[in-house]
Amino acid sequence: MGLSERLLRYAAGRPRPLLAGVPHGTRVRLLAEAELTRRGWPAARSPAEADLLVVCGSPGAALAEAVEVVWADMPAPRARADLPGDLPPERVTAALDGAARHLADGRAQRLDVARRTGRSGGDHGQDEDHGSGMGGPGGLEMAGRGPDRDGLALDRLCLPLGPVLPDWPAGLLVETVAQGDVVQEARVEVLGGAGEERFWDEPWLEAARGRSVTRDEAARRTAAAHLDSLGRLLAVAGWDAEASRARRLRDRLLWERAGGEIAGDVTRFTRRVRRSRTLRWMLRGLGTIGPAPGRDGRVRGGAPDGPGTTGDGSAPRGPGTAGGAPGPAGPDRGDVPGRLEGWLARTEAALRGLGDGTRLTGDEGPRGPVGGRPPAASPAAPPVSPVLSVLSVMPGLLAGAELAAARLIIASLDPDLDQAPSSREAARA
Amino acid sequence: MPETPPMTPPMTPPMTPPWTPFALFGALAVLAWGAAALDAALAGGRWPGIVTGPLRGAARELVRQRRRTVMPDVPLVRAGVCALPAAAVLAAVVLPLGERPVADLSVGVVWFNAMEVCVWWALWLTGWGVNSLHPLIGGYRFVAQGLAYELPHMFALITAALGAGSLRVSEIAAAQRGLWFAVWMPVAFAVYLVSAVAMAFWGPMDRPVGSDIAGGVRAELSGPDRLVFEAGRYLLLAVAAAAAVPLFLGGGVGPALPPWLWTALKTVAVLAVLVWARHRLPGVRMDRFTRVSWLVLIPVSLLQLLVVGVVVL
Repeated sequence: MGLSERLLRYAAGRPRPLLAGVPHGTRVRLLAEAELTRRGWPAARSPAEADLLVVCGSPGAALAEAVEVVWADMPAPRARADLPGDLPPERVTAALDGAARHLADGRAQRLDVARRTGRSGGDHGQDEDHGSGMGGPGGLEMAGRGPDRDGLALDRLCLPLGPVLPDWPAGLLVETVAQGDVVQEARVEVLGGAGEERFWDEPWLEAARGRSVTRDEAARRTAAAHLDSLGRLLAVAGWDAEASRARRLRDRLLWERAGGEIAGDVTRFTRRVRRSRTLRWMLRGLGTIGPAPGRDGRVRGGAPDGPGTTGDGSAPRGPGTAGGAPGPAGPDRGDVPGRLEGWLARTEAALRGLGDGTRLTGDEGPRGPVGGRPPAASPAAPPVSPVLSVLSVMPGLLAGAELAAARLIIASLDPDLDQAPSSREAARA
Repeated sequence: MPETPPMTPPMTPPMTPPWTPFALFGALAVLAWGAAALDAALAGGRWPGIVTGPLRGAARELVRQRRRTVMPDVPLVRAGVCALPAAAVLAAVVLPLGERPVADLSVGVVWFNAMEVCVWWALWLTGWGVNSLHPLIGGYRFVAQGLAYELPHMFALITAALGAGSLRVSEIAAAQRGLWFAVWMPVAFAVYLVSAVAMAFWGPMDRPVGSDIAGGVRAELSGPDRLVFEAGRYLLLAVAAAAAVPLFLGGGVGPALPPWLWTALKTVAVLAVLVWARHRLPGVRMDRFTRVSWLVLIPVSLLQLLVVGVVVL
């Protein structure tokens, strides 16, 4: 066993982790991502490429099942690190160390293989494939036919996207019917996780509970949330270099408590992204959310003309919202580059609040009102969570989109499913 | 390919020394490794990690199981995966290592192009054979990419051949003793670089193996399959960079240093530019790029061909 043991140990020095995000596990995901970047372990793109599964959060039943499918799809040698949502940072490091040790342990790996082949009769190709987001047509049913958007009769394939995919919102499952690589129909589901934590909305929720939270903390969280979304969108757009820059800036804001000196680096990053003509050319016109009848579009960021952006979230919004339309917290109007620009502008705006030690009072989190306090204007109407309006527009935007465009649209909406009610189904098309 | 009668009477090339195939193979392996290391360095990797990274990756795949999908077409996958490095190495046999290539074919440019087209075959078979959706979509993407890049690519190659009046790669390199083709046919050179990136499905043109479809064609590969595929990918990139040297950058011509060293230096420079482009540019999708390719790249490369043709006449 000399040579293969040595190769095993050598390879285990640099595993390829696949992250499985779980709702309410955002904090631990961010900690894990920062630690993986620090160690220089490059992320895997699929279960077949991965040898380390990092489950960030405590998945519910449906999501746990999907994670098990991914785990079964991973060839040996493999290791797994389950990070529950409330794990302290130092335990994240320890869990990753433990997984790497397990990966280097030849005896344990051989046992794992023996156990697996024993259980499934030597054929783990029988793993059911639905939900993994990677598999083939699971039960081997033949694809049916149907007319496609170009008037051809093509096979209709059921292609589930998520819930475990790189650069993908934790807990999101988009069941699509695809012809070629064009999405014909999409159905959105939320696979929940255990816990209550809503990492990105935390400062506002804490403030609403009466605890003292500084505006500096809120600014950090806002900027980091948008940088996280930017990292995802840029990675899906195939620009790994800028995606990892966005994530590095995010980590510096959150964990290294970077001060005002980070502003220069953020400006350099935003300038590079804005200047890229290729990026604009590729994203233009994708996922356009048209102007709503009531003109209640959330126009935030740079332009100070929106009455709803000042001060508390209870400030009056556009004139169209008075008619009971549940639209105040929807995604940004416009197309994918428009939403990208919104994130860039809001990141820069949030950084201006860095170092502000005064007490946070508002309700306007990174993705809209966090619902920490009921809106004063209409206490009768239950507050609509921003994530629900995002999920409700998603299927309509995805229909007819080519798969690459669909991924970009989803990344540009980047729903935070920590906000979603923990029901299995959130929206249907 | 237009039939271009050779301007000089065909000479019988001297025998290539028997060690040249080994030199070629070694050089390509070093270049591929260097490309992977440079890529890791540009991605912010630190010193020992960037050099050992590819080695650790290779060790990892050597001890890994193969992933088995439901009802794969195994022979097709194996053929596709193995065809990738084979096509890269076979394409390289006509490239001069200094003054002489391993095989100095009289139709070297055609041979080079034919081997490149095998990459279409390799990617499509791999994507199709594993019987899984993301690889299949990766295969679709590469076929679309091929339709976008192949014609401009062929016109760029033909332009260089026309400029030298020969399809023999060593003669094309020798024809640039006065002036590099990159200088007097810059459009063809630029088109070659763009199409080389697309052919090696690298950097901005890596959507067939993009992370948005879980690694695309290679999504279900693990173990030796993935090792061979990834090695083939980097070899192909190295060959695409190396071919630019005899075709457009004067081959081994240069002051002071021996030809083989000039060839190596120029190859490394082109390779570095291609690797750097991956970090500089976001992904390019074929549903947008094909329009530019057919409406801009093909006309300008034809125009370049016309200009070169008139000058040569």
